[in-house]
Amino acid sequence: MIEESNKLLYRDELILYLIHCFQGERTISGIYHLLKGKKSAQSIQDSYLFHVEPFFHTCEDLDRMEFDSLIMECQHAGWICPKNDNSHHYILTQMGNEALAGQKTNLFPDGLRLTDYINDESQYWLKLQLMVQSLSALVHHQQAYLPLTHVPSVTESVRRCLLSTTLSRHDLANRFYEELVRLLSNCPSKEADLLVSQLTGFKKNGLTIRQIAVLTDRDNYECRLLFKSGLRRVMKQIAEKPDQFPYNSKLLHTQRSGLSRSAAETLQRIRDGLSLGEVARSRRLTESTVEDHLVEIVLKDPNFEVNHYLTDELELQIIQTATAAKTRQLKAIKSQLKAQASYFQIRLALARNAVRKGETFGGTSR
Amino acid sequence: MELRDETQKLKRAHVILKEKFGYEQFRAGQWQVIQDVLNGHDVFAMMPTGSGKSICYEVPGYLMEGLVLIISPLLSLMEDQVHQLRKIGEKQARALNGLMHPQERKRVLQKINTLRFLFISPEMLRQPQILAVLQRTKVSLFVVDEAHCVSQWGHDFRPDYLYLAQIKAKLGYPPCLAVTATADERVRVDIARALDLRDVRQLLMSVDRSNIALIVKKVMDNSEKVDQLIQLLSKVRLPGIVYCAARDWTERLAEQIRLHTGLRTAYYHGGMDAVDRRKIQNQFLDGELDVLCCTNAFGMGINKPDIRLVVHFQFPGTMNAYLQEIGRASRDGKQGLAVLYYTEQDERYPSGFIDMNFPDDTMLHQVLVELDQGLLQTEPKDNFLETLQGRGASETAARFLYEQVRAVPREKRFLSILDECRRIIRERRIIQMNDLKVMKDYINSNTCRRAFYQSFYKEKQQHKPKLCCDQCGLQFDAFSGEESPEDRPHSEQILEWRARLTLLLKGSDHEK
Ligand SMILES: [Zn+2]
Repeated sequence: MIEESNKLLYRDELILYLIHCFQGERTISGIYHLLKGKKSAQSIQDSYLFHVEPFFHTCEDLDRMEFDSLIMECQHAGWICPKNDNSHHYILTQMGNEALAGQKTNLFPDGLRLTDYINDESQYWLKLQLMVQSLSALVHHQQAYLPLTHVPSVTESVRRCLLSTTLSRHDLANRFYEELVRLLSNCPSKEADLLVSQLTGFKKNGLTIRQIAVLTDRDNYECRLLFKSGLRRVMKQIAEKPDQFPYNSKLLHTQRSGLSRSAAETLQRIRDGLSLGEVARSRRLTESTVEDHLVEIVLKDPNFEVNHYLTDELELQIIQTATAAKTRQLKAIKSQLKAQASYFQIRLALARNAVRKGETFGGTSR
Repeated sequence: MELRDETQKLKRAHVILKEKFGYEQFRAGQWQVIQDVLNGHDVFAMMPTGSGKSICYEVPGYLMEGLVLIISPLLSLMEDQVHQLRKIGEKQARALNGLMHPQERKRVLQKINTLRFLFISPEMLRQPQILAVLQRTKVSLFVVDEAHCVSQWGHDFRPDYLYLAQIKAKLGYPPCLAVTATADERVRVDIARALDLRDVRQLLMSVDRSNIALIVKKVMDNSEKVDQLIQLLSKVRLPGIVYCAARDWTERLAEQIRLHTGLRTAYYHGGMDAVDRRKIQNQFLDGELDVLCCTNAFGMGINKPDIRLVVHFQFPGTMNAYLQEIGRASRDGKQGLAVLYYTEQDERYPSGFIDMNFPDDTMLHQVLVELDQGLLQTEPKDNFLETLQGRGASETAARFLYEQVRAVPREKRFLSILDECRRIIRERRIIQMNDLKVMKDYINSNTCRRAFYQSFYKEKQQHKPKLCCDQCGLQFDAFSGEESPEDRPHSEQILEWRARLTLLLKGSDHEK
């Protein structure tokens, strides 16, 4: 029987769900890096491997202190425990499993799944905020204002957008307004409210996520996820129909593949016929970095051909070994296959398998 | 003839003050500095925080032919100064710093001959191509802001400041104005020498801000502190700043205050996202917050004249820092209040900070060895700093090490500076421990607080204000707010997206 006290808060459900997905195969730091969106090959690959990529980069402003205290909270409540003594790998306890299963509705907003343009998420959001602040100052004839950001790429891009038009400031503001209204009308109003409440302009200072959380009596994590869901919906519309949103599309550099810039460069050279070693030498990268790129490419493009690096038979063997051992930890798999497979081949196989299984996000895996 | 020109200039200074800046009169000290500057002297001015030192070079900027070059160590200070000038309609004020986009930098340099004010970081000034452009420009006044950064005795020593005299020479010795808030005798000598000041006129204003009343409250423990603070905040005039020694305290306090007083409260610290910090700062500047709980990361370059209260929830490590922080109160000259709460447990904060200012001996040794072995590189600077911070060094400690190792010549081994580093650390620690002792003495003193720090800065106490300090019988009642918290304007937050977007992007005259 589930007691009333087992009713989970939003943040508890989020952590329990992620711990459930990782099944003790990554440390608690892995979950932190996932939420924070750490741009390392490991974090990006893990997010696909464990089917939690919608959560990648959802809590950019999370600090370690806040995160650690949440983990403590969940441990005190008896929902999670270390996999074995002194381990940073956590798993759900029986109570945790029951509590998670007892959540009737799926709380996580759908927009999070739209991860195609995730690499440009922070930049676009900064540009949008600065654009609105600048336009607001212009239409209200404000002499001077303190810009929200000084990130050079952001200020340059907004400046170019403002200068590249022959429209008057009022007309430009109107077009922008009209585009944003269309974009946001296609989002749930909860998400649109969260996004716009953060915007700054004339006599209206934007609120921080934490301030909105207090004002709306929700928790920080819920607000963060709702906001990111809304932002991703907006970006997707712009990327898919740039001619319908000409001004916003100037602020968004879309790389449909969602590949990091470096991985995209590697992909180009492989298509030009270079071997991995040659790519590494020509780009002055280590071979393992290029291997990271390849795994990233496989995760994001299921049709990418890997025969050069991994035969079908070996791939099958790796997956069977992993399934039998019930693990996705490289070391464990490698120790069984010994010299038959390299770490790189194991990672490729796991990546392809993760992509094939498709998304299990949103409660269906429970 | 020349004399008449001079009087003409001085008359015009008053006109500029009124027309451009909207003030009727110069404040104490400003007039003397401006006279000396306009007469072409090198000037050293020590003016307390909040006494309006920027007027001292801004007004001459309108009366002298050419560019006023202001060297400033902090981006936030630079940005604020440019912002203040923009607000009064001055378009010919720009800044140059390392964080700018190269394109933006190029644009600034292209219009340099039309500029009236250029704020620049000392690192930028050392770049040959920038210096070359400046050499082709007439620099009318060479202003060194935060001049104490040139002194190795100070806490804020900046090695790049040591090149300023050289640069001044390359620019043909324009008149130099060096300004700082506080500098003891030792630091003043350093400044005059390092900046090569000649025929120098000095203005030494008192460190005292007589319109700020001072109270020190000793309490049993932190929970009593919180109770007293909450009572204080619901009684006295606001807005106010509450300085805390640690980030988690700012968050905890802000929540407590909000829950118990209903005041509009936020927190601010260096661990926050940059945009969030900017939002909170702007909310505070625009009067949308009553109380801001923050670490000492907040305050530099903040220009808000009507802050009525500065509380120290934990005390800072030096008298200098304390005066600078309370100096943010009541810059408009009206009555302000500074309250410092003290419990014995607070002792651990500042001495802990002093330890953190330096790398510990094991790390020092290890880093030097690794540099010799080529396992670590000093450049790029950011990587070096990041690596050390990754190993647990504070930012100050990492910067300290960087300064030491980058001076080592190529042919010498890094390990050869080990003993020298140890000596410097020892010396600086002693200075900092002494500074801390002065701060503690201030808290424990049972004489007039104002007299205490004036004597520390070797000043005679001129006159004691009516509202002086707790030792002189000051009561909180004198600061009661004229309005109750319920009367305060509660700017309503608009969270509905359509309404908010309309307010933001539809100008008042959009029907036209
Ligand atoms: Zn007194």
